[in-house]
Amino acid sequence: MSKNYVFIGLFGSGKTEVAINYSIFLRKQHDKVAIADVDIISPYFRTRDVVDLLEKKGIKVITPPGALKYADLPIVSGAVAGFLQNKEYKTVLDVGGEENGVVVVGYLKPYLEDAEISLVVNTRRPFTSTVDGIIKTYEQLSKIAKIKIDYLVSNTNLSLETTKEIILEGEEIVSKASEILEVPVKFTVVPDFISDVETKYPKFKIERFMKMEF
Amino acid sequence: MEKVMVKGTEAIGEAAIRAGCRHFFGYPITPQSELPEYMSKRLPEVGGVFLQTESEVATVNMLYGAACTGTRVMTSTSSPGFSLMMEGVSYMACAQLPAVFVNVVRGGPGLGDIQPAQGDYWQATKGGGHGDYKLIVLAPSTVQEAVDLTVLAFDLADKYRTPTLILADGLLGQMMEPVTFPEFRDLSTLPDHSSWAMTGAKDREPHIITSFDIDPYILEKMNLELVEKYKEIEKNEVRWEEFMTEDAEIVITAFGTVARIAKSVVEMARKDGIKVGLFRPITVWPYPYEPLKKLTEKVDLFFDVEMNMGQMLEDVKLAIGDKKPVAFYSRMGGVVPTPTEIYEALKKEIGRRV
Repeated sequence: MSKNYVFIGLFGSGKTEVAINYSIFLRKQHDKVAIADVDIISPYFRTRDVVDLLEKKGIKVITPPGALKYADLPIVSGAVAGFLQNKEYKTVLDVGGEENGVVVVGYLKPYLEDAEISLVVNTRRPFTSTVDGIIKTYEQLSKIAKIKIDYLVSNTNLSLETTKEIILEGEEIVSKASEILEVPVKFTVVPDFISDVETKYPKFKIERFMKMEF
Repeated sequence: MEKVMVKGTEAIGEAAIRAGCRHFFGYPITPQSELPEYMSKRLPEVGGVFLQTESEVATVNMLYGAACTGTRVMTSTSSPGFSLMMEGVSYMACAQLPAVFVNVVRGGPGLGDIQPAQGDYWQATKGGGHGDYKLIVLAPSTVQEAVDLTVLAFDLADKYRTPTLILADGLLGQMMEPVTFPEFRDLSTLPDHSSWAMTGAKDREPHIITSFDIDPYILEKMNLELVEKYKEIEKNEVRWEEFMTEDAEIVITAFGTVARIAKSVVEMARKDGIKVGLFRPITVWPYPYEPLKKLTEKVDLFFDVEMNMGQMLEDVKLAIGDKKPVAFYSRMGGVVPTPTEIYEALKKEIGRRV
């Protein structure tokens, strides 16, 4: 089992939801789990918006300090490198989308020796709806992050309108990309409101945190 | 078309391309930078042009130039960026140039912050730039509606030869929802602008496009032509939505994101047996004064909710006059009100008036 876990992807691929849920999953097996919000480009809907909720679950959340968390400034708290090196902690990185977001991974690379890097893919999103799109994204992001991507994560969804069929259709496309890239699929994300789906890859049940009351 | 998950900003970009837009000029500013980002990837795929400009002033002048050729052209920005474009917007209105602007509004005034707000309502609907002009202003409240209104914005811009504006806010720009896109418009079916556009004057009289005349009597004629056009738009293009107003005793007035929140408030109140409805302008210019005024016949109280100091409130009061009371609730600075907080404020207001 790796010490650190990094989730990257394009805008809106669901990285943040997957990263948050993964930190909760890790917390069930380990005492010390941290999640670092190193998203330097999204202005809203970020891990830092659910800090209280995660801390109640016993997860350490690292965000830019004070009011700076409301900004979209290129701030990576010094604590991030500390938690990545701290042997007692399993640390999850929630990285910003697109090319400009993943540069952070390149910057943190010296601390990511024992880390698992996953590319989160939603095939109902622009630019990753096809096998070619996924391959292009994989190549682009690994080049900019200056890192080898270890896994694909199949996260095809239409938010609350997600159905079994949509999950399986996405898994199929990700599966083909996985064969061509020779990069395994870590898991297929299934929202908590869908119970009876048989996925090809291990099922990863998630609860949705980036939601609105209206 | 199958449904896809898109952010409001991307939805507007893709809808523009499907509506036949092949030219985008823009400068990044949060919370709308995903729109130029999307266009920079997407336009080359369809043979279009994306250009990142050196400033918003340059942007609006590039729009002016491109629109002169009759092509469908667009830009997007956020509050301070739209302020910078104001001079050019006024020029384009006077020169009768069709183009689509998008303002994804953030907290203001000044540099403000990057959270959602509605403080640019006055700027959008009452001028903003100098001189006598109007923009057709469309205010979507869901990502799907942002798609539909973007297509409409291009069609109206062409129909009336006028700049149009999508007035969104940061929340709508950033939220992701499943949407269906329309089919791609066949470019050969787009409106014919050969009577005025600058497409090369070989074998014909040159066309002149200008926002200027030194002779006041000629400029006044140009002014009156615009006035006639705006009257025509007021007559034909007023759009609004009513939600559960049939038996409503109280009506919430709201636009954009706040209207979406207000829908939840209506549902909460209905559960408690309070007859609340929602009146939502879709065109904030031309404003739906008449249909709102009509509601005064059966509604006892109007409750205007906005993320500003009470800007649309002026239009609500213009429609309602002294016929019925109008109360107001707001959050500013980028703070988004929750349905519960609006409902509590509404109940207090009812309590005061019993």
